[in-house]
Amino acid sequence: MTHSVIKAAVATTALLLALSPAAVLSADGEKLYQTKTCSTCHGKDGKSPIMPMYPKIAGQNQAYTLQQLKDIKSGARNNGQSAAMKGVMHLVSDDEMQALSEYIATMAP
Amino acid sequence: MNKRLLISLATAVGLGFSTASLAWLEKGGERDETLTLTPDRENGIEVYEVCAGCHLTEGWGETSGTFPQLAGQHKEVLVKQLADIREGNRDNPTMYPFALPESIGGPQAMADVVDYIQKLPMNPENGKGDWDESAPEFAQGKKLYDDNCVKCHGDNGEGIADKFYPRIQGQHYAYMMRQFEWIRDGKRRNANPDMVKQIKGFSDKDMQMVINYVSRIPVPKEDLAPSADWLNPDYD
Repeated sequence: MTHSVIKAAVATTALLLALSPAAVLSADGEKLYQTKTCSTCHGKDGKSPIMPMYPKIAGQNQAYTLQQLKDIKSGARNNGQSAAMKGVMHLVSDDEMQALSEYIATMAP
Repeated sequence: MNKRLLISLATAVGLGFSTASLAWLEKGGERDETLTLTPDRENGIEVYEVCAGCHLTEGWGETSGTFPQLAGQHKEVLVKQLADIREGNRDNPTMYPFALPESIGGPQAMADVVDYIQKLPMNPENGKGDWDESAPEFAQGKKLYDDNCVKCHGDNGEGIADKFYPRIQGQHYAYMMRQFEWIRDGKRRNANPDMVKQIKGFSDKDMQMVINYVSRIPVPKEDLAPSADWLNPDYD
């Protein structure tokens, strides 16, 4: 392997490392937020829910959102309006819930 | 005493199953009114936007079965289901807020949107069961269909519009599986009691075979979109 190739490889690796995992996930999360129908109920901006009893979620703590996603999916949380959301939760995997929670935390409250 | 009060009383005293026949089809009200109105296509496009959040702008739903294909469905069926959901006669907590008059509007808006949906071209690649035409399960499914389903859903799953029997050809396998099971097991309250009776003895395997067959009934070419990549030009 030549020095220039090694240098390029090192530079690429450094660049990849510089991008925080959260940034990568959030980019996916933005798309998932639409395609997994989150926006349909919570609003495109995460703060204009279709029903007044549905929560604004923009800027919510990542860890809290992730836990609610997991609990609604598993059925551990089944109070309030969660029945409405349970119906779509099999659309998202663990990784996607992670990405969604990261993205939602970045939305302007 | 009015009929609605009677129904709630019957439910309250736990007659449960016997109310199913009352829940299938309530005459009058917004269903009938909606079906007499002249639809406005432009407003239909506008109203459908909220539905498209889940059913997609093409009205094709999802092969995963989470959301059914609506495109090509009889408007009578669409009106009945919409009205049933918003009146609490069919449990669908995910869709409920979108079916409310605040989201959709009154009879005219319903007439506009269901006419629009009915005319949308259908998904050429609906979700299908695993057994293709060469499998014995496909043939058994066809026999089950011919023996139990044709009278209402038609030889090719086309349904009967003026009787509110849905078109099931082209519907996603996974969606039909869930609804069939709920109808058989009494969870879908607005089911037709004749169907509940007809499929009572179906095993899970029977259910898979008959729905596999239905998911593979070809939809007439003129009702299909030109390709699975087709995008609804009414939305950008």
